[in-house]
Amino acid sequence: MSDEARAKFGRILLLVGRIALAAIFLAAAYAKLKPQGAMPWSVASVRTSLAMFAMQVDSYQLLPEEHVNFVAHTLPPFELLLGLWLLSGIGLRYSSLITTLLLGGFFSAMVRTYSKGLEVSCGCFGPGEQLGAKTLVRDGSLLALSLAVMIGAFLLRRKADDASAPASLPATQRAD
Amino acid sequence: MNRISDLARHKTFVASALVALIFLFGGLRGAAAQDQVAPATKSTTATASKPSSASTGKTSTKKAGKSGAKPAAEEPVGSPNKGVGFPSAPIVMEVYSDYMCPQCRNFYMGTLKAMMNDYVPAGKVYLIHRDFPLPIAQHKYNWDAARWGTAAARIGRFEEVDRALYDNEPTWEADGNIQKIVAATLSPADFRRVQKMVAPCLSQTPPELRPTVPTGAACSLDTFIQQDIALGKQVPVQSTPTYVITNKGSRIPPGSGFVSWPLLKQFLDSLGQ
Repeated sequence: MSDEARAKFGRILLLVGRIALAAIFLAAAYAKLKPQGAMPWSVASVRTSLAMFAMQVDSYQLLPEEHVNFVAHTLPPFELLLGLWLLSGIGLRYSSLITTLLLGGFFSAMVRTYSKGLEVSCGCFGPGEQLGAKTLVRDGSLLALSLAVMIGAFLLRRKADDASAPASLPATQRAD
Repeated sequence: MNRISDLARHKTFVASALVALIFLFGGLRGAAAQDQVAPATKSTTATASKPSSASTGKTSTKKAGKSGAKPAAEEPVGSPNKGVGFPSAPIVMEVYSDYMCPQCRNFYMGTLKAMMNDYVPAGKVYLIHRDFPLPIAQHKYNWDAARWGTAAARIGRFEEVDRALYDNEPTWEADGNIQKIVAATLSPADFRRVQKMVAPCLSQTPPELRPTVPTGAACSLDTFIQQDIALGKQVPVQSTPTYVITNKGSRIPPGSGFVSWPLLKQFLDSLGQ
């Protein structure tokens, strides 16, 4: 495979990974914000969903109550914005870095809770999903994907910088 | 002229007779309909205005004691009622728990007790306990505890026994002497009734742990516990405590694990909006 073909393949992989991560974050945000039961979409029903998510965050027993509420009320909108940012592809190095840090945080919280033997709702994609080996494998895979996208984004940027470097060098150096 | 006046009088008589018949018929139908409706209305009012479980049990026992119509030990026992509060409450919360699971105890002591002092008596939430004894070897007495709770529920004394079981769990967890705890909680007459129901069950191995041994014939309480487990499997309950909240008939996806009272309260308040 030529360098050009390899670079093209890398870019395609990066695109697929980025879109997959964006879709996952958008789905996670939607699942946390959507009305519970037979409730219609309204400000009150979204508030109920966020209160439900707060209970799931609380069950991890990591944060004090006021921090639980802050996390529960800011995380779903943040996931929504992050999903849109990843989808846009703008500043991918930064969006993928934030995604990796966020997923790393989720994963470590899940591992800690699981190792403590606490049986709680995962809260990853809305209510009703139990934290277990399956969810750990899934979130671990997402973290790996995010890491791969981040590395890919940084490598791509470096290559682009390298390619543009000779042109930006001073005239004396170029002559050398 | 006479004939004309006779005819007129006759017509008046027939018309008034017809009107009387119509009223009579209508009145009879109305009375019949009222008879049919009355018992249903009465029972609805009874359930709506009286909190279920322990308080109902107390009332019936006191009444029986005062009138002396029947000794408590001979009173018929019904299906276990493990609900606390007003069944007509807009929010119904079912909690699947195992008496030996530490998280369940934390949830009961830290959250459900607060709810039972606040939202349950206020008629906002109807709390239902569902037994879900986990098939874990360390939980040696979880079935026995569930049996004592179920027996108490059958005589309407669930709330006190449930509270006593959780409050004293560290004590009976060590030696399995649940009887002592229940005896200290109930009146001697009620304790005898409960003990009579539990006695044939205590020597039996829980059916979940020994599925090859046919059980259930001698211990009727296990049938009720298994009904709770079957309901839990439909949820599905994967761990304890698991809570299922139904708001005005609409079921919300289940949650599990410990939740603090302020956050549960926040959620319940959001449902009321």
